[in-house]
Order: sequence, then C-alpha cells, then structure tokens
Amino acid sequence: MTTWKAQLADRMPAALGEEIDVFESQIQLKHQGKVDDKLFAETRLRRGVYGQRYDNGQRHDGVEQRTLDFPSADKTKGPETMWDAPGMQRIKIPFGGMTPEQMDVLADLAEEYSDAISHVTTRQDIQLHYVHIDDTPDLMRRLAAVGITTREACGNSVRNVTACPIAGVCHEESFDVTPYARACMQFLLGHPDVQDFGRKFKVAFSGCKHNACGLTNMHDLGYIARVKETNGEIKRGFEMVVGGGLGAVPYDAKVFDEFVPEEEILPMAQAISRIFARHGEKRNRGRARIKFLVDKLGIDKFREMVLEERKVMPHDDAWTDYLKELPDYNEKPLKNAGSMNAGVSDAEFETWRATNVYRQKQDGYAVATVTLPMGDITSWQFRQLADIARRFVGDSVRTTVEQNIVLRWVSESDLPALYEELKRIDLHEPGAGTIVDVTACPGTDTCKLGIASSRGLASELRERLGSKYLNLDTAIKGLHIKISGCFNSCGQHHLADLGFYGVSRKVGGTTVPHFRVVLGGQWSENAGSYGLTIGAIPSKRVPDFIDQVTEKYLQERENNERFQSYIQRVGKKELKKLVDKLATVPPYDIDRSYYSDWRDPREFTVSDIGTGECAGEVVSMIDFDLQAAEREYFDAQLEFDDGAFQKADERAYKAMLQAAKGLVRLEFQDIKDDPNQIVNEFKKRFYDTGIFKDKYAGGKFAEYLFNRHEDTDRTFNRDNARHLIEETQLFIEAVHACNLKLQEQQAAVVNDIRKRPAATGA
Amino acid sequence: MDLHKVGIKFLAEEGSTVELIEFIPVFHRWIQNGALDLLLIDAADYSHVHAGPGIVLVAHEGNFSVDETGHRRGLVYYSKHQLPGDMTNRLATVSKHALTACRMLEEDGVIKGRLSFPGNEIQIFANDRLQAPNTDETWAALEPSVKDFLTKLYDGSEYSIEKEPDPKERFQITVKTEKPVPVATLLERVST
Repeated sequence: MTTWKAQLADRMPAALGEEIDVFESQIQLKHQGKVDDKLFAETRLRRGVYGQRYDNGQRHDGVEQRTLDFPSADKTKGPETMWDAPGMQRIKIPFGGMTPEQMDVLADLAEEYSDAISHVTTRQDIQLHYVHIDDTPDLMRRLAAVGITTREACGNSVRNVTACPIAGVCHEESFDVTPYARACMQFLLGHPDVQDFGRKFKVAFSGCKHNACGLTNMHDLGYIARVKETNGEIKRGFEMVVGGGLGAVPYDAKVFDEFVPEEEILPMAQAISRIFARHGEKRNRGRARIKFLVDKLGIDKFREMVLEERKVMPHDDAWTDYLKELPDYNEKPLKNAGSMNAGVSDAEFETWRATNVYRQKQDGYAVATVTLPMGDITSWQFRQLADIARRFVGDSVRTTVEQNIVLRWVSESDLPALYEELKRIDLHEPGAGTIVDVTACPGTDTCKLGIASSRGLASELRERLGSKYLNLDTAIKGLHIKISGCFNSCGQHHLADLGFYGVSRKVGGTTVPHFRVVLGGQWSENAGSYGLTIGAIPSKRVPDFIDQVTEKYLQERENNERFQSYIQRVGKKELKKLVDKLATVPPYDIDRSYYSDWRDPREFTVSDIGTGECAGEVVSMIDFDLQAAEREYFDAQLEFDDGAFQKADERAYKAMLQAAKGLVRLEFQDIKDDPNQIVNEFKKRFYDTGIFKDKYAGGKFAEYLFNRHEDTDRTFNRDNARHLIEETQLFIEAVHACNLKLQEQQAAVVNDIRKRPAATGA
Repeated sequence: MDLHKVGIKFLAEEGSTVELIEFIPVFHRWIQNGALDLLLIDAADYSHVHAGPGIVLVAHEGNFSVDETGHRRGLVYYSKHQLPGDMTNRLATVSKHALTACRMLEEDGVIKGRLSFPGNEIQIFANDRLQAPNTDETWAALEPSVKDFLTKLYDGSEYSIEKEPDPKERFQITVKTEKPVPVATLLERVST
C-alpha cells in the first residue's frame, strides 16, 4: 500500500521529514503507553497539534453532562485528553505568505482531515478543526512537501512570526520588512535558545509606526522598520519593542532601543530569548510571559541584562547571512502595471473597490483584500482562489491579522476581472476592515477555554450590520468589532473600538451567557492603546448595545470627532448607563432565549433550572458583595481616567477585597472589613483548598489579590494602576465563576440526596 | 484499492425554505437524543460561508452535513475511519447513514414539508487523494464496486454518471436517475 511518506519522500526537506518521522514514532510509543501524558502533550503542542473542546470526553448537551464514549477510551494524548477526541491543527504561515501551491495543499488537507474549512487566525496562521491525531503525521508531510512546517506552532515556543500584509507595497513603510521577518522565523525556529521558555513568545514586524498592520505594541518582541542617515549614508534598522501582550491583562510593549541596526536584530532576538529562558517565570504559567519579566525588572534593567548577554554570546554566521541575499530580494509582479479603464461603473464593484482595494506605492498596482467571513474559507474556494492568484498575482498572497487574505501586485487594469472571478467563488464581499468585518476567536465552537460563543455573536452581528451596511454613516462603517470567547484575548478585543469578551452570570439560579464590553481600544499605531472594560451585558443584548452606542455617538459627537476620542470625552460613567440599561435578564419562564447562546440552542444548565426557578427571587449575600465589588471596580476606572492613579489603584484593590469577602462570607458569616483577615480567610478557605483554582488558569487570579495585598511599598503610577484594574476585573470574574461552581456543586449534592432511595426503618 | 474515506451526498429538492441555521437545533437535538447509531460529538455552524459545508454534525465515525457546495443543498455523510466489508459494502454503509439522516430531516417536526430528498441525484466521492486521486485509473478501479452499489440502490433502473473533470478536486461522480425514489425505499435497499 502506498503512503504519503513514500510518495513525498523526494519532495520533503530531509530535516523536516525526519522530524515528522520522530513525531510519528512518539505517537506510536504513546499508543503503547510508553510516553508520559504531560510530555506527549507538550510534544504534540510543539508540532501544532492542539486540543479542542470536549476532548476530555465530557460534553453538556443542553440536558445533562454526558460522556463521549470514544472507541479508544483507555488512551489519552495528554492529561484528561482523549486520544480519539477531535483536535485542532495550527499551521504556521510566516508573515502570512502563501503560494498558490501551498493554498492548494491547505485546501486539500482541510477537506480530507478536517471539515472542508480552513480558518485564518488573528496571527496569520491557518487552523484546521476536528482533526484526528493519527492523521497528523501525513498532514504534516503534505505540508512539508510544499515548504510549510507546523513546528512550534503551539507550546512554549516562538509562535508564528507575523508581519504587515502590505509590506513592500505600502506607501508609509520605511522599507519592506518581509525578508527580515522570514530570516527571523528561520533563525528562531528550533533554535536551542528558545526551547526552554516558560510560555509562548510572539514576534511581529511592521514597516511603519502609525498603521495597525504589525500590531507590534501587543507582541513579546516587535520590530518597526526605521532608516537612519549617518554621514550621508542611509542605514536600515528597527525600533525594537519588548514585553507587550494581550492575554488576560494587556501590557504595552516597552521601547528597548529606538534603532537597532539590521545586522543586530537576530542576535538581539537571541539575547532576549536567553534572558527570557533564564529569568522568566516557569512554574506559574499565569506570570510566565515575557511581559511580566520586563515589568518586574523594569525595561532599563532588562535592557542592561540583554546587552550583557549579547556581549558574551558566541558569534553565529546566521545572524547576518541573510543580509547578503537582501539586495536580490524583490517581489516580481506577474503582470504589467495597468490602469483602470474609464467607464467601469458597476456599483457593486465600486462598493467593493472602496473598501477592499489599496493602491500600492508602485504605480499601476493594487492590493485586493479577499474578505473571509470570520476567517473561514471552504476547500473549493481555497483551490479556486489559488488559481485566481496564479492568473493575476502569482505568489503574492498573504493572510492578515484581520482574518482575511490579500492578493498583492494586482495590475489595476485587472481589478474588474479579478472582482468577477472573486464573485464567481462567492468571495467578493465588500467591507474589509470595516464594522462588518468582525473578528472573532473560535470561542465555544471549538476552544477548550471559551466561555461564550464569540463566533455565534460575530455571525449575528455580521448579518445584522451587513444588511444595513450601505446605509451606515461613514464614521460607523470604519469602526472595528473584535470578539473573544473569554478573557484570553485571542479575538484581540482590547484593540477594538467595540470589543467584547465572553463571561457568564448566574441569574435566578441559571447560567446566562454574557459579554464584557471593552470600548475605545486603538487599532492604529500598531495597536497603540487598549480599551478598558465598562461592564457586562447578556449575550443576546450585544446587537442592541452596538446599535445604541453607535447611535449615541452619531448624535453626540462634536464635529468630526473620532469614536475613540468620543469615548474618552464622554467617559465610562456615562457609557455605563447604557450598559446597565441592557444588563437586565428576563426570568427564564418569560424569555428563554437569553439562557442560550447565539447559534447554539443548548441551555447551559438545564439541570439546574428546577432549582433556579424555585429560588428565582432569592438573592444571596454574595450577589450583593459582587455588585459592590463591580461598583468599586468601575469607580477605579473613573479615577484612572481622571489621572488619579493612586486612588484608582486603591479602589481596585478594595474591589478585589470586596469580592473575596463575598466568597469568604459563604463560609464565615462574621468576616470583618479588615484586609488582612479577608485575605487570610480567603487564602485558607478557597486558595489553599484549590476551590478557587481555575481549571486552566490555575491560581493566578487569586495571586493578583495576594500580590497587591503584600505590596505594602507600592509605587503608584499609570502602568501599575492600569494593570491592577485589569487584574481586578479578572479576579471579580473568577469570584463569579467560583460562586457558580459552588452553587452547581451544592445543587448536585441536593439532587443526589433526592435521588437516593428513602432510608428504611426511619 | 484500500479506500475507506468515502462519502455520499443526496441532493435536496431545490427551493427549500429552510434556513441553514434552522438545522443547528435539529442536530443538537439528535445529539441529545442519541438519534443516530454513531458517536455524535457536536454541531458546527458554517452558515456564514457561501456554498460551503453549511451545518456540520460531527461524529467520531464520520461527518454529516447539510451541505451547500456548488450552491446545491444536500445531505452529506462521509466516513473518517475504517469501514467494514468490500467497497460495495462501504458505499452501502455511508449511504445508510446519509439516508437515515435524510429521513429524519424529512420527518422532523420543525422541518417537515419544507425539505425533501428526491433521491434521483447523488454524488459519491473519495475523500482520500492518496488512495483515490481524481484520475481515470481511480475510476477504473472503483467502477465495478460503484456500479454494483448503484444497481442495488436503484434496483436495476437506468442512471447516468458524470465524473468531476477538475483534477484538483477530489474524485467524485454525480449520478442521476430519471425518476425520484423515496428515501425510505432507498434506505430499505441499502439496508438489506
């Protein structure tokens, strides 16, 4: 019987082929029970083989929690991860660059091993879902044969190196960062100095400072192209920033050096990696990203350590080898430059052109954005798009962080024909980069961490906004909506004008999906600033909220005031009123639609409804405590907005204490307002016992409280206050989750007692 | 040919008024009720993608979907793992799963009367480019088994076969018969 391994032997780079053979052997050893679960999990993660929702073999089907009886029930591919459970395969696409040949293969793999959908992620990767682990070695071989590796796509490693998708054709860039991004990817891939990180490490390149494309501000390591003139000589280099990141608590990257000459960017990346590996947190995953190390040390100390390390590193030719090839790097257009023929007046085409076409700095060429609904493309469309690329642009195709695909170097005279071709394959949707181009992470569809349905909400918003897009005010059309299924920010909600992330709330004893509203984030300036959260609203009210907040903006904006400026001027106190107005959830028997999520009819806790309906009006003390904590947290944000950083900090701390007190009060009614007593009792009763621990985040949310409590010599400044405010919000969410868990446990015990046969002889 | 990853699509009658998202609660209900004799895992919504897999019911053994590829709605089932028996039996197995789902959809309380599968147009595909690339050789190897299966499915009635011409697409044939055949009849034939 022929195999992919045999068939592709001559087409795979030997090293890649061997790596995949090793991975396949590890799969066999795991089958034989000879590899530890944790070790195997990290092994597969480093090959991009991820877990997926329900892979612990448990799924709540809307009625009850049920066991998925997989055939290989006794086999696991990691702790609590069933062997047969479908998983996600992440495929790194460095700087988003793809050739038509690679697109064909990606399409085939999605069709044969997944569900015929390729999903473009917010970091320019491609993800396939519902993949069986036994299929992954062949999947990897087929990728290797066209020059793609999945190595280090997940796990504690250097993730996909991203870059501006219009690098090389952008009017505002200093120079094309593409060859540098490629060199960085090649240099760091599998490098010994990046194998011992406590957490993942993300690198991004941007050609300029002011546009969004590279999002360097939210990266562990970001490079922004710069040129410097010295003695009449133009020298290329990069502003290097470090320690940015979204995640639960977003951090702005700090400027490491305003100009690192091109020959130094790889050694500096290596030196930073060595410092991160040596000094970064390893045990506590919640504090293991480099942003925490930079924050802890301070950028000056961090810089000093890196520069010291740089001095002692042995020379490596690979640092600069690629520079020799730079003069030859030149993307060649497939077609001659052209101009649009006069007289093209198709209204649909013009609508598309207005949002989806960017005129390159090279006269007669344009970049055409192919809008992918929520990053999804079918296998048939992908293959057709590959052929379209072959016809119009050749290899100049890239994915974007807005989950789209761009075709670069389109001769402008070809634009109408290209549009017709895209229309033929249903990929001619206008609105790229506008309010209808909603970004969403996988959320509860497939992600193990998802709390609410980010994709369900995104689908709904796309439909609603799409139907009225042409009538929207220009100022509204230009807004960005980004949605995450949980606080981990894979949907990049911190950077959106209108950001949302999934949470849950207990209402009348039943769980209701909610989204926290994050307003006023900045997408431009390479993700220049993050929005702050306002409050939570039921999932089903989010479309209403968007309607109302955008309407309010249109009515109240001054002159041509931008949305972000408007949000800052009006202030969160005013906007909170809007959130509060929509926060009410009708009782279950009045409107059940609130109790399930978008595009998912399952009721999360149907088994609890009996209890919930009986106890619908009972509000426990912890609900009041949490309400007070939320209020205090909100006031902290207002103080922050007024520049009163110390007050903001103190209020945020107080909010955490209030929430912790609420939990403690469940067991210890007479808890006082003394911070020491609250923290000690909370620690003893909920942290040390493991009750408060999040399944995935562990104890990190509790540590936010402990760290602040112990910080008696605290420095009150903007950054510290902002981080604490973010941490406070997460802590309060964790208290909500813990309370929910306790209620569910209590209900289960009650149900269990009810089910037991009546005692005889009583 | 050791082909196990095979699938079949039963085309629906055109003009159905059922919105794609209406199938989401149906599939979730099937999961709740254990309505099919397979390990049903989850429903996936791709209604936002034009002419795509639509709504997918993910099972361990294979995937079902209310598929709209080629702008033609139909019920698809394809196998993801080993199937028992020879090729003719494997085709009968996937057809049985697909037809069971067709029948359940036609009889579903919410869908009933708005969707039907006339049974006179089907697509059979091989979802495995290693074992069955879209070539004449593949067709030569599969043809006897496929025809045995079609004889059984259509009880000896005449049919036409059209091969997918694009070599980049997976191997697929479209089969048409002149007269519609009720799903129940087709199901009975492949079940015996």
